[in-house]
Amino acid sequence: MIDILSYFSNTTGIYAFMNSPWGWPTAESIHFLGLCVLIGTVGVFDFRMLGIGQGIEYADLHKLVKFGVAGYLLNVITGTMFLTTAPDQYIYNPAFQTKMLFMLLAGLNMLWFYATTSQQVKATNGEIAVSNRAKIIAAVSLLSWSIIIICGRLITYFRPPYHWCLWC
Amino acid sequence: MAVVVGINFAIALRLIGWVPQFALNPFQRFYHLHWLGAVIVLLSGLGLLLAYPAKALTNPVFYLKFIALGGGLLIAAWLQKQIVNHSISKIPAQKLKIIAGISIVLWIMAITAGRFLAYTNSVLLASRFF
Repeated sequence: MIDILSYFSNTTGIYAFMNSPWGWPTAESIHFLGLCVLIGTVGVFDFRMLGIGQGIEYADLHKLVKFGVAGYLLNVITGTMFLTTAPDQYIYNPAFQTKMLFMLLAGLNMLWFYATTSQQVKATNGEIAVSNRAKIIAAVSLLSWSIIIICGRLITYFRPPYHWCLWC
Repeated sequence: MAVVVGINFAIALRLIGWVPQFALNPFQRFYHLHWLGAVIVLLSGLGLLLAYPAKALTNPVFYLKFIALGGGLLIAAWLQKQIVNHSISKIPAQKLKIIAGISIVLWIMAITAGRFLAYTNSVLLASRFF
């Protein structure tokens, strides 16, 4: 696994860029920027479903989500750059594993939203509260992204081999 | 920080016109979250500054971050005031777009400077000067 990730990093120029003087902090800045865009769009929509900003149309605010997708793509690209440049610092890291777990949960939650609730929410008048199911989805989303941010910060402090992981 | 920057991005995108013209007045309720986030940012930043004062105060990037953060928060406070007073509709759209653009640039500067702080310090402890 580590060999495959390292090979990818070396052959694509990612490793050379990330090990240049400004490579890593530049990627970190873009990573955090993507996260802020995600929270400002998907997070704001989640807060709206939980009742903040009554009067703003759900359908209007939902149109912010496309910027959230752009932010998420920035995160995936820069995240891949981190992971492939120093794979041993990530795949054995319990903070990274927890982050990935909650990213999976956030993804499944999003699929659940679009499969069951999104049309109903977008058709709801801005003065009316959304269903309890939509509120639960919003709360799970906000909780997941909060944990993802916290785990992202903790990755630096739980570096292997000093900390255990499930398959070390 | 993500909550503060995110809410500012959302309102800037609305003012620039990249997202639909959703009602701004109800959006003022998001400012409660925004200022709660700002207080957490300032308190945690103060804690980090107190822990390693020489590391931050000897680094020009720290001042860049401070200026960008202060400018971004000033614009946020001004925009909130215009929304609460219902006077935002009287401001020319072009002026609002410029202010929203400046807000986005300032927040990108604050984030970038914040990340670069960890890589650009030349002094760690004040004891170096004694």
